[in-house]
Amino acid sequence: MIGLVLRGLSTRKLRSALTAIAILLGVTMISGTLVLTDQIDRAFVQIFQQGNAKIEVVVKPKPPFQDDQTEVYLNADLITAVRAAEGVQLAEPYIQVQGYVIVDGKAMDQTGGAPSFVFSSVPEALNPYTPISGRLPTASGEIAIATEIAEKSKAKVGDAVTLATQDGIKPVTIVGIVQYGDGSTSLGGSTSVLSPLIDVQNWWSLQGKASYLYAKANEGVSAEQLKANVRAALPQNDVIVQTGKENADEQASILNNLIGKIIRYALLAFAGVAVLVGAFIIYNTFSITVAQRTREFAMLRTIGASRRQILGTVVGEAFIIGLVASLVGLGLGLVFAWGLNKLFGAIGFGLPATGLILSWQAVAVSLVVGVGITVLASIFPALRATKIAPIAALREGVTLPVGRLQKLTPVIAIVIAALGATGMVFGLASDADTTSRLLTLAGGAILIFVAVAMLARFIVRPVVGVLSVPITKAAGGVGRLASENAARNPARTAVTAAALMIGIGLVVFVTIFVGGLRESFTGAIDTSLKSDVTVTARGFGGSLPVGVLDAVTAVPGVETASPVGGTAVQVDAQTLALIGVDSATITNVYSFDWNSGSDASVQGLGADKALVEDTIATSLKVQPGDAIKVQSINGASATFTVAGTYTDPTILNGIVVDQAALKPLLQSNATGLNTVFVNEALGANPDIVQAALEAALTDYPTAKVQSNAQQKEQVASSVNTILVIFYALLALSVVISLFGIVNTLVLSIFERTREIGMLRSVGTTRRQMRAMIRWEAVITSIIGGVLGVLLGIMFGWAVCKGLESEGLAFVFPTVQIVIFLVLSIVAGIVAAILPARRAAKLDVLEALQYE
Amino acid sequence: MSTQITTTPSATATDAVVVATDLSKIYGEGDSEVRALDGVSVSFPKGQLAAVMGPSGSGKSTLMHILAGLDQPTSGSVLVDGTELAGLNDQKLTLLRRDKIGFVFQFFNLLPMLTAKENIELPMKIAGTTPDAEWEATLVEATGLGTRLTHKPAELSGGQQQRVAVARALLSKPAVIFGDEPTGNLDSKTSGEVLDLLRRAVDEFGQTVIMVTHDASAAAIADRTLFLRDGKIVRDAGHLSAGEILDTIKTLE
Repeated sequence: MIGLVLRGLSTRKLRSALTAIAILLGVTMISGTLVLTDQIDRAFVQIFQQGNAKIEVVVKPKPPFQDDQTEVYLNADLITAVRAAEGVQLAEPYIQVQGYVIVDGKAMDQTGGAPSFVFSSVPEALNPYTPISGRLPTASGEIAIATEIAEKSKAKVGDAVTLATQDGIKPVTIVGIVQYGDGSTSLGGSTSVLSPLIDVQNWWSLQGKASYLYAKANEGVSAEQLKANVRAALPQNDVIVQTGKENADEQASILNNLIGKIIRYALLAFAGVAVLVGAFIIYNTFSITVAQRTREFAMLRTIGASRRQILGTVVGEAFIIGLVASLVGLGLGLVFAWGLNKLFGAIGFGLPATGLILSWQAVAVSLVVGVGITVLASIFPALRATKIAPIAALREGVTLPVGRLQKLTPVIAIVIAALGATGMVFGLASDADTTSRLLTLAGGAILIFVAVAMLARFIVRPVVGVLSVPITKAAGGVGRLASENAARNPARTAVTAAALMIGIGLVVFVTIFVGGLRESFTGAIDTSLKSDVTVTARGFGGSLPVGVLDAVTAVPGVETASPVGGTAVQVDAQTLALIGVDSATITNVYSFDWNSGSDASVQGLGADKALVEDTIATSLKVQPGDAIKVQSINGASATFTVAGTYTDPTILNGIVVDQAALKPLLQSNATGLNTVFVNEALGANPDIVQAALEAALTDYPTAKVQSNAQQKEQVASSVNTILVIFYALLALSVVISLFGIVNTLVLSIFERTREIGMLRSVGTTRRQMRAMIRWEAVITSIIGGVLGVLLGIMFGWAVCKGLESEGLAFVFPTVQIVIFLVLSIVAGIVAAILPARRAAKLDVLEALQYE
Repeated sequence: MSTQITTTPSATATDAVVVATDLSKIYGEGDSEVRALDGVSVSFPKGQLAAVMGPSGSGKSTLMHILAGLDQPTSGSVLVDGTELAGLNDQKLTLLRRDKIGFVFQFFNLLPMLTAKENIELPMKIAGTTPDAEWEATLVEATGLGTRLTHKPAELSGGQQQRVAVARALLSKPAVIFGDEPTGNLDSKTSGEVLDLLRRAVDEFGQTVIMVTHDASAAAIADRTLFLRDGKIVRDAGHLSAGEILDTIKTLE
């Protein structure tokens, strides 16, 4: 039987290859994702291992809770105790903050995802950076820059440049160019500058503070031993003491959870879509070939093959196709990982990476999924093949028997659709954790896709009926024939179209979803902001120097400059933003959408009242008049009485208090200022005011001045970047579905060989033959496109409605939908190229004599 | 079946619809060379029903394929309704077939998803021309398919399907209709219906029909019977009875 399987595959090379491609691309994406994220994981591990390589013990602050966005600091005085501990050879405080150098007026910062770091320079015996030219900075006013910056800026040792700090720009001199670790690991897009501890403390308002304390052991003292010694020398509850290795593992796992895992699961989700689309195509291809081989199977049965053996032939074929496709996909995955890494870099999300690695897990997952899905998708067609009676070998024009399950298709499909809808409703509405909600949402969507694919066969005829009118008008007799051909085998057309439907459906969905996100931001700017200009801090989580507020207020034409600051807090173990506003001016620049309370509640905030955003109030189960206890990340806590609730999931999304009440809850270096809302005086020229603001802030390069229109543009551009990534990832699924159309057409043409011969002999030209096939493909792709658009709109609408309280608004993307429909038609035309050429090239005589 | 006995084997070139001159078709080279046609010259006048007979491998099918523009001769010339086929490209040959040639195949070759009427009109629809309604009505009448026109091929008997195929060939009033074993897939009763229809096409509508067959009773309706062996015409007779045909075949084998 194996021989028969192999012989069969080799005689049907094109078909086998097209089928293999359907699964190959999905496997490529899976293995590529695993390779890439393994690379990122390993890069993080290497980065932190190298960072801790020279250190035996690290002392870290112990905040009351962890927050990804907030750096916490400890008291640098503790270094005395550490140095005094037994076995300590050398101990130094160390700080990391965000900042960057400016070379010839150009900021050497990172505007994409990766951070721009300034590290305090510790002695070379502890420092993960080593100078490759010059030396490490020691005196105030000296810096060293990493090789990446040196290459980009062409700055050399001895150059005078400036450093953008929390306290404005500072003149500094480059004394060294440094390399991280052994230079083998790319740090992605992040930039690093080394500056002496004293400068970092002064310029980032961190006097007396440190991020970590590093300690090196005397010869013969183990890391564990030193850890115990240091632990004993320090107060019990304020700090964490770890060995260098423990610290490296923890840091790597934190970043990996933050970046690597998210990328991994997001990409695997798209790979899953690609595999699902591939499964549809494999199912369809095997259904068609089993039907075409009815007589062959019947003949095998007459000469003594058992049903099991027939099943084995079909499944065996699937197994071999799946195996070959998965192996090739695995290899292509390496290329995919490389390309994806370059792509991320090109769009400003540079990721750290090491050389390519192919882990055995990646190999196993790719092979199991690739082979598993192929075999699974072939099982139904294989079972149908076993139902063929031996007598069929002797009859002309036998078709496959209709299975019992097939008659129940509509019922089964409706049950699946109902399950899917339930899953989606649960995913949107339940209180469960995000992961399980997302999984049920995705599962629900898959079930609905499957159900629609099963039901699609019933709409093929009516849809073709409608389409055939314009097509016959456009293409005449061959247009009519194309319509008839598409409707001839509705199940086949339906499943082929369904594969495209999934890709298009998700494209429409992400368009609506991301459009909703954009609308939630831009809409909030329109409805909530009364201010004309906003000053914010560049980079994430950054706060503005205090001087910014005074500089802004002094600009002529500025009527109101209202400062806003904040910090991370916890209430009932939920991490939230505590927002400090200037209660005298905030209502001039910001319009509260009150649920209870009024602008008067803002004026009366005082030291102990708070306003709570509505969704947060609901989740905290508090109402006006209730007390809430707020735990700050700096260890302090405070209690506020709820004075009002308002709706704003975007701009002031948190708990609003007066800035005076925020002060005691801030970390020592925080200025309590991250935004200044500016109102221009009546009659002031907005361009002049904005230019004056920019001029007033030249000493504060971390401050960014934006008009409302510019803010919206920025939102739109980052949203577009996200959309481009989504589109690129979904494009693969669409491409796979095109192979499905190619495959179905090739198989149909093969089975209609004699018909094509007849049509050609009675005067159908090659051009007409190509047109016929092309229209057939276009009809299929229109069905797929329309179903996809409808499902995409439905999913988009459901998710936007479900997340309305988070600010997501449903916007109907008319223009994009027209574009997607046109693109599906184009897709059909492209898919038809090869099959149309084959059909047109058939030799008339041979085709006529074909049996 | 017609009882008319007119033999016009030597029609003049002027009223001939199909003229073949010195046709050769050679497959392979050297030792393995096969001469499917070996210098065949023949012409078919308008309004004649000709049967081409011969044992398997005699070259009868090859001759028909070349005359119908489906295959190219190695040498020689073919004129169909005054057009020389040699040197025509695929596009021009296709258009010539569309406009001047009709086909009736052994396996009917109807499109399963079209009705009988749609199948009849298919070549004209592909050509983008409108069938002459009166002529179509006449044909439907002649084929006796009036009540079956809205049926799909699967719902028609073999004879009915082949009559649809004949009507399809006739609808565009081609210069010549080629039949490739038109009764090869039918029983004797239904073959009779189809042969009758072909005979009427010639007698009543002045159609020219050339059919390849190895069915003596089919050839017996022809005005002229050609016998091929080893790529050569060995006998070019007028109307022959089935018995005479069988006798001739015996001498050929």
